[in-house]
Amino acid sequence: MQHFRNFCIIAHIDHGKSTLADRLLETTGTVTAREMTNNQILDDNPLEQERGITIKLHAIQMAYKAQDGEQYTLNLIDTPGHVDFSYEVSRSLSACEGALLVVDATQGVEAQTISNLFMAIEQGLEIIPVINKIDLPSAVTTIDNVKRQVMDLIGCKEEDMILASAKTGIGIEEILEAVVKKIPPPTGDPEAPLRALIYDSIFDPYRGVIVNIRVFEGTIKEKDKIRFINTEQEYELDEVGVMGMQRVRTKSLSAGNVGYITAAIRKLQDTKVGDTVTHAARPCERAIEGFREVKPMVFSGIYPADSDDFEDLREALGKLTLNDAAITFEPETSNALGFGFRCGFLGLLHMEIVQERLEREFNQVIVTTVPNVRYKVLTTKDEVLWVDNPSQLPNLSAISEIQEPFIKAQIITPTEYIGTIMKLCMERRGTMLGQSYLSADRVDLTFELPLGEVVFDFYDKLKSNTRGYASLDYDLADYQTGDLVRMDILLNGEPVDALSSIVHRQKAHDWGKKLCIKLKELIPRQMFEIAIQASIGAKVVARESISAIRKNVIAKCYGGDISRKRKLLEKQKAGKKRMKQVGRVEIPQEAFLAVLSID
Amino acid sequence: MNGLYLHVPFCEKKCTYCDFYSIESTGLIDRFVQTLCKEIEIRCASLTVPRTENTNGIPSQIGKTLVPFHANTIFFGGGTPSLLSGTQLEKIISTLKDHVDIDPNAEWTMECNPGTISEKSLSDYRAAGINRVSFGIQSFAQPELDFLTRIHSIQEALDAIPTARAAGFTNINADLMFALPPQTVASLEHSLQTLIDLQPDHISAYSLVYEPGTPLHAQLGKGLVVPHNEEFDAEMYHIVMHTLQQAGYEQYEVSNFARPGKQCAHNLMYWHGHDYLAFGPSAHGLVNTERYWNHRSLSTWQAKVDAGELPQANTENLSHNEQAIEYAFLHVRSDGLPFSTFQQRFGLDLQTMLQPHLQHWIDADFVTINNGVLRLTFEGYRVCDEISLKIIQSITK
Repeated sequence: MQHFRNFCIIAHIDHGKSTLADRLLETTGTVTAREMTNNQILDDNPLEQERGITIKLHAIQMAYKAQDGEQYTLNLIDTPGHVDFSYEVSRSLSACEGALLVVDATQGVEAQTISNLFMAIEQGLEIIPVINKIDLPSAVTTIDNVKRQVMDLIGCKEEDMILASAKTGIGIEEILEAVVKKIPPPTGDPEAPLRALIYDSIFDPYRGVIVNIRVFEGTIKEKDKIRFINTEQEYELDEVGVMGMQRVRTKSLSAGNVGYITAAIRKLQDTKVGDTVTHAARPCERAIEGFREVKPMVFSGIYPADSDDFEDLREALGKLTLNDAAITFEPETSNALGFGFRCGFLGLLHMEIVQERLEREFNQVIVTTVPNVRYKVLTTKDEVLWVDNPSQLPNLSAISEIQEPFIKAQIITPTEYIGTIMKLCMERRGTMLGQSYLSADRVDLTFELPLGEVVFDFYDKLKSNTRGYASLDYDLADYQTGDLVRMDILLNGEPVDALSSIVHRQKAHDWGKKLCIKLKELIPRQMFEIAIQASIGAKVVARESISAIRKNVIAKCYGGDISRKRKLLEKQKAGKKRMKQVGRVEIPQEAFLAVLSID
Repeated sequence: MNGLYLHVPFCEKKCTYCDFYSIESTGLIDRFVQTLCKEIEIRCASLTVPRTENTNGIPSQIGKTLVPFHANTIFFGGGTPSLLSGTQLEKIISTLKDHVDIDPNAEWTMECNPGTISEKSLSDYRAAGINRVSFGIQSFAQPELDFLTRIHSIQEALDAIPTARAAGFTNINADLMFALPPQTVASLEHSLQTLIDLQPDHISAYSLVYEPGTPLHAQLGKGLVVPHNEEFDAEMYHIVMHTLQQAGYEQYEVSNFARPGKQCAHNLMYWHGHDYLAFGPSAHGLVNTERYWNHRSLSTWQAKVDAGELPQANTENLSHNEQAIEYAFLHVRSDGLPFSTFQQRFGLDLQTMLQPHLQHWIDADFVTINNGVLRLTFEGYRVCDEISLKIIQSITK
């Protein structure tokens, strides 16, 4: 056990985490340079590679012969790199004794890095600061500033920081030596009752769920009868091993080690991240702390573009949850979109990923509705309702109070954008809770914001208004009462439920007007005039109209024209595929996301 | 009810808006007529179905008789068919009669340019067997004829119909165009009234189409021509439909109007999906479910025929679905879509499939449904393609 080191890498997107991981694998001989052709080995989902983010966690075991002549086993545990997955991050951190804090020499510290770093410090991890990308020419002017930021942040000395370039290989040996020397070996008694943490699980179509665990106490062996404490599920183990470049069967894992177990587990939901694994016959006294049910925070309707494909979509969602336990979905019906599903996601990015996976991996043609949060509604009869679909909000007269989720957002930005960010957050009904300067030109701002205002396009706005320099991290804070109303959209007098949204009363007029204008842009002219109205209850707050097509007919159609004419009509028909009919109005699918593109 | 179409690809001068194949080398007409007659022979030989006759129980090669293609309508289009002399026309017609089983009561139409006819030539055509003439009059306003680069004068336009009557024609069509850039409501009304006073039996009234590939389309691209807006186009269309109906012409297609009993059999043959053979460069034919189209260039077409081959550039075999689509949109834009016939032919209950739309269309006065036939109204013809699109969507869903 003295020769085990369990660590992870904390870094902002693009600060070089994956490249560094690859370099460590290469230097320790875990993977040869030739195998490195497809770089960034840990991100094996094409979507992850494209977006440069890690969605699912991975771990990899490396053997390293240190300068002291001893052979060490290093377990690098990867962490997801996006705000939507902060719970997963906290669980993978707790599987480690140390962390590499990787900061880009030209960019400095970002919000995400800080929140993950604080999480790591709280959990008592040894932090090894690494300044990466020192080979970049522009690093010359920025590196001193970045070093100072890091020193201020973790209170280390200049000589504690490792200057590295994962790209060129500078500093890699030094990092490996630091991992061995500075990160404490794990502790724990291999003879004690089993106590292991699930920090990730993936679904394999042939073996069922593969559970990634960190063993804290005791020893886990094949054929053992184990129990997941929180889900209260029991299984007999099939296989126990460690992760190299492939899975390596070791038959047992002892305290201090990291590896995987399989046990004919069919459902990912049975192996919740953060749960504790123990023996059924000789359980540990208490579960590992920090387990939390991951709850979706953002909801949206997902409908098949063609209503006949409802069952296909159900099947696709079912398969998707096999390897993404965080998605929830329940059937719902909409007058506009027919039969579909109300889906819950961890956040906006998670939602986009799910939508893309449905389209790419499962070939589903889908229509999605505007995302919203889950509201807590207190009725006049003193009932509590949780509403995650605006059209399900009861009548105003039956509501005594609506509460909405608030987040605590941390935004780190160059000081020149403070004004812009303040304005953006105020527009989104935010309150500033504090600010602290990380250096003369970088500031850490904390806001309280309604999540419902953030799920629209807050992140994109923040990025575009600050030329990409500001970074955001957030945590759900609490529910607060708000003066909220449901705004309905009516087309030719008929409400279109999928376009309803819950908005703050003071913003309703302006919002309704913008939405009507946007819909006018997005809904093509049709044979009938279309009246677009935004209403709160019975009161219309905004209206627009789309004039009718006056003439659309080809004058001539004789023998030589028929074939051409048919092809033209077929082509036009294909272009209209994603229209949904409500009453006599046809609505293109983009219109259901109109709210997202309002300025 | 089957047809023959013969394309005569010559004009004294090509009009800038026209996208039919036509050239100005009128010296080639004689040679063209020879080739056309040869094409008729080749095409008809390729089509006639051999039927073995059993003589005394012995199958005999000699005993094979051929069942020729039967035709009820013949249409000479162009181009300018009236550039043909009576003799040239007679030669073509006699070749047709040799190879096609033509109904004695067939409709024989010939398109004529008011600028290339005389009482003599029309009498010759009548004598050769033509019983219906169609004049490309287009307008009675000089700026509009100039815009269209027509070769005929207003006087020639005025004279065409009486001349045809004098030559013995009792079935006469005139083409009229609207939504022409120089046109006003007043000039359109003038052209309509002038034409009505001349009492043609049939009127085709077309909205100007800017066909890609035409000089007019190029002018549009350069901003030299400014089309009327959709609103005004629709208003003119309404005036056309309304005025002609008032004058006793029944609309039986988007652009076609006729006195009772004078509907063009050849047009209806196309729209009802019957078979037709086509001859001449660029002509399109349909036999059973196969559509063919001839080479567009006169020389290529000629070379193929000279080599004894069918001069077709390509063919397409219509799938069941494509047949259903063509049946539907052609019936919708003409004299109505009969739901029960459609269901018998294609196995689709269109009336039920269109349920989400039908009541809206009826309420908006776009369509009527009488005796199971869906027909467009004035308001409906205006948005015919929108309605066709919805029907196609239902068919292909």
